[in-house]
Amino acid sequence: MIKVQTLISRVLIIFILIIALAWVIFPFYWAFLNSIKKPADTFNNTIIPFFQFQPTLDHWLSEISIPETQRALLNSAFISVGSATIAIFLGTPAAYALARFRFIRPKNSSLTTWFLSQRILPPVLFVIPFFLIMRELRLLDNILALILLNATFTLPFPIIILSQIIRELPRELEEAAFVDGATLLQTLRLIILPLIIPSVVASWIICMAFAWNEFLFALSLTTKSAIPMPVIIAGAEHTRGVQFWFVGVRTILTMLIPTLFALLAQRYIIRGLTLGAVKG
Amino acid sequence: MNRVLSQFVLSKHANRGFRLSKHIFIIPAIIWILAFSIFPLLYALHTSLHSFRFGRINEFVGLYNFVRLFTDANLHSGLRITLIFVAISVSVQMILGFGLAVLLNREILGKNLLRAIMILPLFATPVAIGYLSITIFYEQNGPVNSILRAFGGGNTPWLSNPFWALVAVILVDIWQWTPFVFLVSLAALQTLPDDLYEAAKVDGASGWSMFRYITLPLMTPILTLILLLRLVESFKVFDIPTSLTLGGPGRATEVYSLFTYRTAMRFFDHGYAAAQGFLLLIIVSFIIITLYRRIIKVYE
Repeated sequence: MIKVQTLISRVLIIFILIIALAWVIFPFYWAFLNSIKKPADTFNNTIIPFFQFQPTLDHWLSEISIPETQRALLNSAFISVGSATIAIFLGTPAAYALARFRFIRPKNSSLTTWFLSQRILPPVLFVIPFFLIMRELRLLDNILALILLNATFTLPFPIIILSQIIRELPRELEEAAFVDGATLLQTLRLIILPLIIPSVVASWIICMAFAWNEFLFALSLTTKSAIPMPVIIAGAEHTRGVQFWFVGVRTILTMLIPTLFALLAQRYIIRGLTLGAVKG
Repeated sequence: MNRVLSQFVLSKHANRGFRLSKHIFIIPAIIWILAFSIFPLLYALHTSLHSFRFGRINEFVGLYNFVRLFTDANLHSGLRITLIFVAISVSVQMILGFGLAVLLNREILGKNLLRAIMILPLFATPVAIGYLSITIFYEQNGPVNSILRAFGGGNTPWLSNPFWALVAVILVDIWQWTPFVFLVSLAALQTLPDDLYEAAKVDGASGWSMFRYITLPLMTPILTLILLLRLVESFKVFDIPTSLTLGGPGRATEVYSLFTYRTAMRFFDHGYAAAQGFLLLIIVSFIIITLYRRIIKVYE
């Protein structure tokens, strides 16, 4: 009797698991499927390439050869790499200081909370001031503006992830370095950094993915030459109508980089997204 | 430990260089936030007290922009839509995500693969997903309607009907964020102590009562935290409605942030848009303060 029950519950769980996975994967597969279908095939509900329909790479080639798309991909790359690098350079020393030293006024915990609060603020509140400030600085439609902004709003990730990781390291190495007369900067660079390099890279990746996906500021601050991928995509249906095959290509072109990179930073993602509350 | 190290540092080296450099490490980050977050925030406050004309400050209007918040029917409709969106989307995400985590919290094959797949939606560009969903919810022969028809349903006017458009936006958001609730819950479930469950089993507790009296109380702080993060994030929703429905049909999916964005960038009513931004900040802060107390209480 008990055996039958466990068997049923096991089958049920596998069934639920399969449905959940299909639900998660479906949009990705759908985008891929349409991107390789000939326009005439997109309205047949066929799902297996080669067997049910003849795939084609035409849409990929024609999309990639559009100058606007090329420039948007490049802009996205510069914005996300630039802002993530700034966030790491600012965040790593700050994380080290927060992990290893005691600040009195303000206290460590208040400093950490203050940094984290940057992720709580509603971005739409910043659209106006950033637009007006960047207009004064003549940085409208300039990727530099987006690099600066994204660095600001992704800065909490390296600070929270790295300060936790550094706290988990034993102190003896650093103390030995101090005895040998190393300065703090040397200790950070020669002792700590080599130990935390995987987490630094992971934080960099998380910052990069968030900056790549950022849409509101990109939409407000760019008009032509600085437009990144998400903004290209948002304006697409008006100029071209809904053409399933181009929707597929553009969707994948836009989200390939952040999703693939996120897989590389798996171990740190839950920590980052819960602002350090759950280690994952 | 902190004290040990700083005493050690001070006694052995007794130089001001160390005390100075701990500040040098953190000051760049502080200055950066002051320059790119606090200063813009103050600038927004300044903006909200002025009226604008042709994109330039026109005159000081005091709290007039804030008074307008109370009488603007379109803003209220945006707020109402956002509240409906947040309430439904977050509840479904919490229930589905946590429920799945409880079900799958056991030794299953390919756990790492499962985690990898669940991470994908979290980092899929929201605008791209919204854009792709135009085709997924396409009325003629779109996959959703094809599946519904196969089960005997009618043709649902997903994007042209005010009610169904909001449902579509909510469904996309649920798709994107349920995995977050799932992954965090699963990570937390795996840290729960086994001995409690074994003791309960010895006492002959049923699966349900173990869930009700052990799992749920132990998970409450973490679930509250997940709820807090999801609520705050959902109130800022902008990308998915903007790309999927453009706030339409009519104003049916014009969420708060989209309305504010249009006030600012389409009607160039900068002062009023800044005031709207502050109202959203107040709403979000209110949620944080209410729930944060609860998290603290649970920990005590």
